[in-house]
Amino acid sequence: MWLPVFGLLIGIALGFLVDLDIPHEYSNYLSIAVLAAFDTLFGGIRAHLQNLYDEVVFVSGFFFNIVLAAGLAFLGVHLGVDLYLAAIFVFGVRLFQNIAMIRRILIEKWSISRKKQKKNQ
Amino acid sequence: MGKIDGRRVLLSFVCVVLGFMIAFSYNLTKDNRGVREDKAWNEEYMLRQQLIEQEKQNRQFQKELLQKQEAVSKIEQDLAQEKQLFFKLAKDTEKFRMYLGKVKVKGKGLQVTLEDGTNSDPEANVNNYLVHEQHVFKVVNELYISGAEAVAINGQRLNHDSYIICNGPVITVDGHQHPAPFIISAIGDADVLGDSLDLPGGIKEQLVNENIIFTMEKKKNIIFDPIIGG
Repeated sequence: MWLPVFGLLIGIALGFLVDLDIPHEYSNYLSIAVLAAFDTLFGGIRAHLQNLYDEVVFVSGFFFNIVLAAGLAFLGVHLGVDLYLAAIFVFGVRLFQNIAMIRRILIEKWSISRKKQKKNQ
Repeated sequence: MGKIDGRRVLLSFVCVVLGFMIAFSYNLTKDNRGVREDKAWNEEYMLRQQLIEQEKQNRQFQKELLQKQEAVSKIEQDLAQEKQLFFKLAKDTEKFRMYLGKVKVKGKGLQVTLEDGTNSDPEANVNNYLVHEQHVFKVVNELYISGAEAVAINGQRLNHDSYIICNGPVITVDGHQHPAPFIISAIGDADVLGDSLDLPGGIKEQLVNENIIFTMEKKKNIIFDPIIGG
């Protein structure tokens, strides 16, 4: 259970320590990729809570979404269409939906466990 | 257990990637924002500074220009003065050359002719009827005194160191012999020259008293050639 948290910490440390300098134009793609990653992460958490979690779907979705978002943004820049806005919108909306779903599921679980406790008493 | 481990490792890898991306993005955004604002501000500051520097320099150059212009105008004044001086000098030179007989001169003037007197009395001394060098001297001196600018005897111009000597029946002017009659021409104000010779008890009277035939003629145009080898 601690391995993923440990991995997250290592990743953050790496991110802070690595002194890579990418051109300013590409920071847009990075932020969209981050958004996609967040979306996938919360999607995964929700799926886990709903007992729908599939590792292959999660991991493939994680990387595929990142690449797709960045690729869409890239394509949009080169086509003159602000496709990255679409990506941001979609991922943003889904992010909120996922978080809301997680909240609801947690509340539900919490209330069920309380009822159980009451019954037990 | 192995399967679970594999899942955990994969999840951990995903977490590493996620953490890295988040941190990196955060870092980049922070850096970029600061750098961008700093850049713009710095650039503006630098440009302003440059402008100020340039204006300062312009001011200084303007001052320099003013100073230089003053200097130039001063030099020009000096030049003008110098020019005037040169002009005067040139005029003086011309005048002096004229006096020295180095240049051709022409102008109106007076012509005096001295002829030997006619000897009516055979017993009288013939010397009393001849034109002597002192007569010529007197006339020449009087002419110079009354403002003649150039004088010539029988067409031979006199200069500052001319000499006139009596040599029997002829007189010698600067080594050239001239017989009577002597035509003494002078450039100058003919009226003044004539009047000064004509004074009562003046040269004319003296010469006439010494039996010399004295004729005076005002001329409109007298030309003296420069003295060659003078």
